[in-house]
Amino acid sequence: MIRDRLREVSGQVIAVAVALILGAIIILLVGESPVRVLMTLLRGAFGDQEKIAGTLLQTTPILICGIAACIGLRGGMFNVGIEGQLFLGGFAAAWVGFAMPLPPGIHMLAALALAVVAGAAWVAIPAYFRARYNTNEVVSTILSNYVAVLLTSYFTIFLFKRPGGWSETPPILPTAYLPELFSFSRLNWGLVIGLVLALGAALIFRYTSWGYGVTMVGSAPKFAEYGGVNVKRQGFVVLLLSGAVGGLAGGIETLGVHHRFMEGFAPGFGFDGLIAALLANGSPVATIFTALFFGALRSGSLLLEVDTSASREIITVIQALIILSVSAQVLVRRRGDSQAGERRWKF
Amino acid sequence: MVSNAGSPTLHMKAEMAVALTGITKRFGAFVANDGIDLAVRRGEIHAIIGENGAGKTTLMNILFGLLQPDEGSIRLNGEETVVTDPAVAIKAGLGMVHQHFKLVPSLSVADNVFLGMEICRHGLIDHAAQIARTRELSKRFGLQVDPTERVGLLSVGIEQRIEILKVLVRGARTIILDEPTAVLTPQESRELFQTLRSFVAEGMTVIFISHHLEEVMEVSDTVTVLRNGKRVATRPTAELSKDELVRMMVGREVSFDRRPRAPSQGDVVLEVKDLWARDDRRLPALRNVSFTVRSGEVVGIAGVAGNGQTELAEVLSGLRPASHGAARLKGRDLATLFPRDIREAGLAHVPGDRMVRGVDRNASIAANMLMGRQHRAPWSSSGVLNWTAISQNASRLIKDFDIRAQGPGDAVKRLSGGNIQKVVLAREFTNGADFLLIDQPTRGVDIGAQEAIHDEIMRQRAAGRAILLISVQLDELAALADRILVMFNGRIMGEVAGDGADEDRIGMMMAGVAAPERAAEPA
Repeated sequence: MIRDRLREVSGQVIAVAVALILGAIIILLVGESPVRVLMTLLRGAFGDQEKIAGTLLQTTPILICGIAACIGLRGGMFNVGIEGQLFLGGFAAAWVGFAMPLPPGIHMLAALALAVVAGAAWVAIPAYFRARYNTNEVVSTILSNYVAVLLTSYFTIFLFKRPGGWSETPPILPTAYLPELFSFSRLNWGLVIGLVLALGAALIFRYTSWGYGVTMVGSAPKFAEYGGVNVKRQGFVVLLLSGAVGGLAGGIETLGVHHRFMEGFAPGFGFDGLIAALLANGSPVATIFTALFFGALRSGSLLLEVDTSASREIITVIQALIILSVSAQVLVRRRGDSQAGERRWKF
Repeated sequence: MVSNAGSPTLHMKAEMAVALTGITKRFGAFVANDGIDLAVRRGEIHAIIGENGAGKTTLMNILFGLLQPDEGSIRLNGEETVVTDPAVAIKAGLGMVHQHFKLVPSLSVADNVFLGMEICRHGLIDHAAQIARTRELSKRFGLQVDPTERVGLLSVGIEQRIEILKVLVRGARTIILDEPTAVLTPQESRELFQTLRSFVAEGMTVIFISHHLEEVMEVSDTVTVLRNGKRVATRPTAELSKDELVRMMVGREVSFDRRPRAPSQGDVVLEVKDLWARDDRRLPALRNVSFTVRSGEVVGIAGVAGNGQTELAEVLSGLRPASHGAARLKGRDLATLFPRDIREAGLAHVPGDRMVRGVDRNASIAANMLMGRQHRAPWSSSGVLNWTAISQNASRLIKDFDIRAQGPGDAVKRLSGGNIQKVVLAREFTNGADFLLIDQPTRGVDIGAQEAIHDEIMRQRAAGRAILLISVQLDELAALADRILVMFNGRIMGEVAGDGADEDRIGMMMAGVAAPERAAEPA
């Protein structure tokens, strides 16, 4: 048990290390010192309390999107549509925020609730097709992203545009704000919600009958079916929950950070969350740390162009390398399990 | 033992298309092929028959260079050859049609046939020439295809013809077909046999893997029977009868235990009436099956693997719908219940495919033993699992069922096959069900564990459980079952009392010859 766990963790660590080394080589190739880039990244991410808060602010949506991905992965569902659910959730929360005056507190909760509903409703379409016709949810959720992003843009530009220059909705009312944690940063209660969600998801998967069934659907679907778990229904439910959390991530971004919805409002958080979840092997608790890692990369990169000659795009390169090496690592492990590939032929 | 009339002799080697000597292949502790000799004469259709897991496909994969033997040698056309990979085999004139086709759906038939060896003119693919050549071959061997059609639009039967064409285009003179009829309708099978005969008429050689007696009898010149990785016999087909073949396939070393058995007077627990079901290919797999199982009795289902036993187990556990007829568990119609409800109604199921259906190999023993009871006290209350109780229970079962493991936290994949099966049995036999559906309980399990498993099944019988035991091992059925039903081609051919089990009669029925005097139902 412990040995397996160690093997898993060491595999991921090696994958990240390989990616960082390759990243360092690329930094060398563009004529910058990897050590200096690393130090700048570290300083940008953790240099002082404001920078730490900035890192945590970036971490929050990645973490919540990562938990959304973890929920799907547990049940064997690859929700690649978190980005789209995030956009719709973000818009839904903004709409409640500016169009529906309500008492403080209740207003915020109503906005978050609609964000959750919007995320779940958006993934319900691919989830239904998956359960009913066994369509591949990877493809359908990816495609739904484009529709979501463009649909929210349409809402923003043509239906609810704030009078004036920018493509954004009117600001939400202060009654719907998610309270900030510190005076010196926009870091807000969203982080706490994310941490609670991560722990809650881990506990539910480990300690409930439902979580046990879902875990088995993900890891051995034929076994789960045999044991009486309704595989199709649980797949549907899991995707819905995943989408709901994705929507919540958007709502939190709106209510806690931007206080309005605008075009390109949270670029790539959904995908970063998915990568964080994959790097964490689908464990919500481990996702806290991988999300922090990606959050730090993002916020550290802000300083990169100021202090070094490297472009901040270098962190996108590093992220891509991490994706490559993590997936390579998974392939290598699967191959090891299958007796050097001989399982491809039956005997 | 059965004699080996057709064993290879030295002076014959020149006319041998293929000669394997002493082929042994091990996968870990499992011996898939154990010193197999095989000699295939040029110009014959040579069938290799045996049950699932007898080692047929492994042997062919070795011949074709997909696997390397641990021991033994291969002669192709009389020449000693080390078949390091399929390219060597293809060069020596061998061609293999696999069970699972490898075609590109978006390309045309002709493009698929010539994939990797395209006919080119001025550096471009000469489609017209490819189509003409495909058409010519297809006409010559009766392999009806339209070379211009897209493969994605075609049926499996036609896909198989394309695979055969691929092999022909690559110059094969000896063609290996791995269970070619498994995916075909009866009509398509007949057409395939025509094609195989036309190959032989042109002096080519066919090696044909199957576990279906009928087609082997119909099409082959020579039969080699494999069982548990060993060659049992090689004989001219004309000398063999069907039930002789069955006996060689399932084994003769049946030690009938003549324990006297009183007919059970218990209540009817399972009642199956006029049951029909389809297999994955939508062909009828169960035809008009009727029987009952009473509490305190073991009803055995005998038959060569693949005659509807799997589908029967799946229908009874709710994993496959019945197309007609009904099965009732303690009076409740299974068709109206979900798998979970059937379990709640009193089903325990030891699945035949234990690695896929029976366990999650990566999960711990404790987590595996929880399946099916995660919603029940004391394992959970109000939806919250009690891992202490689960883990303690697992420890107790590990001890009671003598499972060789370090503890409940051990991953199932670390256990041996026999111990994994004990994990399944321990879980299923202790969940308080009245009806036990047990499919191949000792397949791939060592002798010691076999005995323990048999004893446990008899204890369950004594405790008043109703047991349906599906097995391809006659000796197992004779030792445990009160009554034995014999299945062939989806039907129940007849019933035999367990203590009067007559091997010849069972063998006849397994081969599809009805025993009219005691047939359970009209055909």
